[in-house]
Amino acid sequence: MTFSLTLSVSDLLLLLPELFLTAWLCVILIVDFSFKRIVQEQLAYLSILGLVITLACLAWFDVTGITGTLFGKMFVLDRMAIFFKVMILLATILVILLSIDYVHRFAFFRGEYYFLVVMSALGMMFMTSANDLLSLFVTLEFATFGFYVLVSYLREDMASNEAGLKFFILGVFAAGLLAYGISLVYGETGKLVFSDMTGAAPTTGLVIGFLLIFAALGFKIGAVPFHSWIPDTYHGAPTPVTAFLSIAPKVAAFAILLRLFLVALATFKPAWALLIVAASILSMTYGNIVAIAQRNVKRLLAYSGIAQVGNVLIGLAAGTKMGTDSILFYLLTYLFANLGAFAVIMAISNAVGSDEIDDYSGLNRRSPFLAFAMLIFLLSLAGVPPLAGFIGKLYIFVAAIKEGLYILITVGLVNIVVSMYYYLIVVKKMYINEPLDSSPIKTTGPLQAVIYVGLAGTLVIGIYPQPFLDWAVAATLMFSNLLGPAASVPVPTAPFGG
Amino acid sequence: MAEYTLLIILFAPFVGALALIFVSNRQLSLVRGIAAGSAFISLIASVYLFYAYDPLKGGYQFIQRIEWSRQLGISLHLGVDGIGTPLVLASGILLFAGIFVSWHIKDRVKEFYIWILILAAATIGVFMSLDLFFLYFFYEMSVIPMYLLLGMWGSHTKKYLEMTDAEGLKQRDSVGFIFNFGANSKEYAAMKLVLFLSAFAVAALMGILLIYKFSGLNTFDILVLREQAHFSGPLATLIWLLIFFGFASIAPIWPLHSWSPVGHAAAPAATSMLHAGVLMKLGHFSIIRVAFEILPETTRELMPIAAVLCIFSIIYGGLVAYYAKDTKYVIGYSSSSHMGYVFLGMAALDYISLSGAVIYMFAHAMATGMLFAMAGWVYDQTHTRDIPSLGGLSNRMPFISAAFVIGCMASIGMPGTVNFIAEVMIIVGSWNKYPFQVVVAVLGIVLTMAYLFKMMRGLFYGSMAEKYSHSHDAVTVVDRMPLLIMITVSISFGIFPGHLYSVVRSGVDPLIARITKVVPVAEHPMNRPHATSPIVPTSASREALAKVTPR
Repeated sequence: MTFSLTLSVSDLLLLLPELFLTAWLCVILIVDFSFKRIVQEQLAYLSILGLVITLACLAWFDVTGITGTLFGKMFVLDRMAIFFKVMILLATILVILLSIDYVHRFAFFRGEYYFLVVMSALGMMFMTSANDLLSLFVTLEFATFGFYVLVSYLREDMASNEAGLKFFILGVFAAGLLAYGISLVYGETGKLVFSDMTGAAPTTGLVIGFLLIFAALGFKIGAVPFHSWIPDTYHGAPTPVTAFLSIAPKVAAFAILLRLFLVALATFKPAWALLIVAASILSMTYGNIVAIAQRNVKRLLAYSGIAQVGNVLIGLAAGTKMGTDSILFYLLTYLFANLGAFAVIMAISNAVGSDEIDDYSGLNRRSPFLAFAMLIFLLSLAGVPPLAGFIGKLYIFVAAIKEGLYILITVGLVNIVVSMYYYLIVVKKMYINEPLDSSPIKTTGPLQAVIYVGLAGTLVIGIYPQPFLDWAVAATLMFSNLLGPAASVPVPTAPFGG
Repeated sequence: MAEYTLLIILFAPFVGALALIFVSNRQLSLVRGIAAGSAFISLIASVYLFYAYDPLKGGYQFIQRIEWSRQLGISLHLGVDGIGTPLVLASGILLFAGIFVSWHIKDRVKEFYIWILILAAATIGVFMSLDLFFLYFFYEMSVIPMYLLLGMWGSHTKKYLEMTDAEGLKQRDSVGFIFNFGANSKEYAAMKLVLFLSAFAVAALMGILLIYKFSGLNTFDILVLREQAHFSGPLATLIWLLIFFGFASIAPIWPLHSWSPVGHAAAPAATSMLHAGVLMKLGHFSIIRVAFEILPETTRELMPIAAVLCIFSIIYGGLVAYYAKDTKYVIGYSSSSHMGYVFLGMAALDYISLSGAVIYMFAHAMATGMLFAMAGWVYDQTHTRDIPSLGGLSNRMPFISAAFVIGCMASIGMPGTVNFIAEVMIIVGSWNKYPFQVVVAVLGIVLTMAYLFKMMRGLFYGSMAEKYSHSHDAVTVVDRMPLLIMITVSISFGIFPGHLYSVVRSGVDPLIARITKVVPVAEHPMNRPHATSPIVPTSASREALAKVTPR
């Protein structure tokens, strides 16, 4: 396999967002080291500036329709990659805003924190463009690398260290599986690029190889049975890192899953659809049932996140263009609701110093705004109209029912009811219970900004989703040659039974 | 302007709720003013709608269609027929009355009005949705406000407050796992209500999704599906059962009723009014709008299920109401029992009986609204709903006691109230098909008299305990107006039912014609409701009939 490394300037244009962000990373690091008296807030806003410029660059790509591949198809920039990159950048900006108050808790290395967050974001941006097995491995590890450090950033805190260790050991194990899977697939097909693999014969080695790759990606998205690291890691990690972890790696991993299953394995759909259906049912059911027993709100969101991933997998199991649209759209709604919920958690944790659900008692009396925001975010996660989460779930169900996945949809619908119980428990604490301590809770500017963005996203997408649906649909045009909805069942012609 | 009537009715409460968010809780009169104002706009528009609806033309009127999502085939398609119009009016009246009934709420007033406006607007939205998606959207949207209204402003039952555990501690302070609310507490009631309704709502959603898939039309639009989608065989049966039981749970049909009386008992007065008055009718209405419209054939085959279950609803609800000791439980179970009459009227699939069922929904909204408002008043004054410990209150509150008698009479179906007309129509209409059920229904009326008179005597007559001697009557305009409005509506439609009847018939006729393919008997005396509108069958029903004549 050979590929020419003669890069023209126009080729490099495709890499512009990543290149710019790499340069900006160096700037962040240099500024942090050179100015001893710089305060971390300034570094935070410096990072945000870089991310916003990158975002603007991607928006320009999206509008002008710049797409293409690089390095012998290792790197692809299509509209789906742009969609995912925008989501990751948005999540990163919001997470940095969330972090500003929290970073004071770190004893030192406050500047490097932002460097690591932006570096992980860069890794995940590459991940969304990975188009062959090698770039898949490299970008995945690059993205995870920053997280290993971030999760254990609270050096004095046992829980954080435990979280980091658990995440690291299982993460490295997943990386091992991934590498082994890649070697098997390459050995069987001799191909690395996803789009070249279509039509490969399904030998045993190939099947095992892909199963191993799926296991490694399942670890990233936290689908059952690869979820075991999630609760402890979410619980122990610094809360902004948990927020970051709960959305960005999932988004990036779904980009790879879509390319892997719908491009490389498009011809084996009946086989892998079963696998996805099983993972989806397990994730939804396990996540929702275990979430009921949680007393800590971070753990609650960890398990609810597992269940949400199960929901997204329904869209993948559908395996159609519409299924892909619904995944993109759902992840967008999840991003706003989840980061918004974490912003409220941060605000309360800053004031109360705890993440226990019991400490949310009487929040409505202490801070009506925070309670209302949390209510909206939780109900959006539960899928209650008129919020974004409802449209997301409905879109996924519509995509799935067109493919006749009745059992999966039934499980999904039942799980909505189950999830409503534990989300409403938090609502009950906030609205119905009386506060233990009635001092009002103050929120700071950056946190409030995140909450407002989350509220705006959740409500606007819920009430008028058309532009966002259009955007998701346009982003996945590459999949429009996938099998469409199954031919509709012939309907009897006589309107009244003859 | 007139074509935007539905949008005004629907969005006035939403806009009011939105405006309230930006008002401080301390400006009490402004908060109440905004709530009452937006409810008033909605009420005026729904009165206009009721009288501007043209029964001669029939069919869906005041149609609004706003594209919402191309990919999913959804549009905000609003329109009312003869069945939706009176229910929209009832919602408008009950919302307006409910705002005044809850005038004396002191805790978190602003939030209360926000949630009650959203609740009412969502129910109104269901009554005018012509798109399956939005029907479900508004239906599910009405559930969550109920949770907060019950939980934040509701009250525990007596049984719960007296409950202690082994160490003599109040049990409500104990923390458990799933059932950490303790039965009979307001939290338990609220959670039960939401989970019950959501569980059955997703069943209905599954039915809707199956309709969407197997129609193959890529649309949620009821009018398109009604004309073009045809279902038969086991699939139609499955969809029908999902839709029927999914929506019947909120009606609530026996044996899916258990959330409802508990919810009534825990809810604040205005919420009980809306809950019993209009929320429960969402069930019947959605069954009519979805199952009757889209699956007429299957409806004809399977509607006997409702005829069987309604017997249990009527008798069981009535008996429990007779033995209940909590005023709100009595009224709550009486509502469950009375909803059985609506199911009977629907099950007979007859022009007269279905019209009776729709009028009964309207009539019951007024009667039960009155009763709940007054039960709430009595509770506010005496802080108890326990009938044995009350008595003789007519000395202290003559107005309430007189209004209560009228409310009971309306609920029983005294001639002169609109309930009478509805009951007679249901009984006459279903006699041919279900004589046994009709006998049960008549017995149910006797039972209704028994428990309502028993409650009336227990509350207002006999000797009064000394501790209630400081309770007050409703004397101000604000306190009396909601009751007077509902009494006036109930009696005036009882004496002049003409327009109500012709509006309802214009909605019922095409529906029954499609389902049963039987031409309405125009010369029957019941079919000449009003001298100025001798219009049966309407033009819409004639069109429908023309379509169903055998080819």
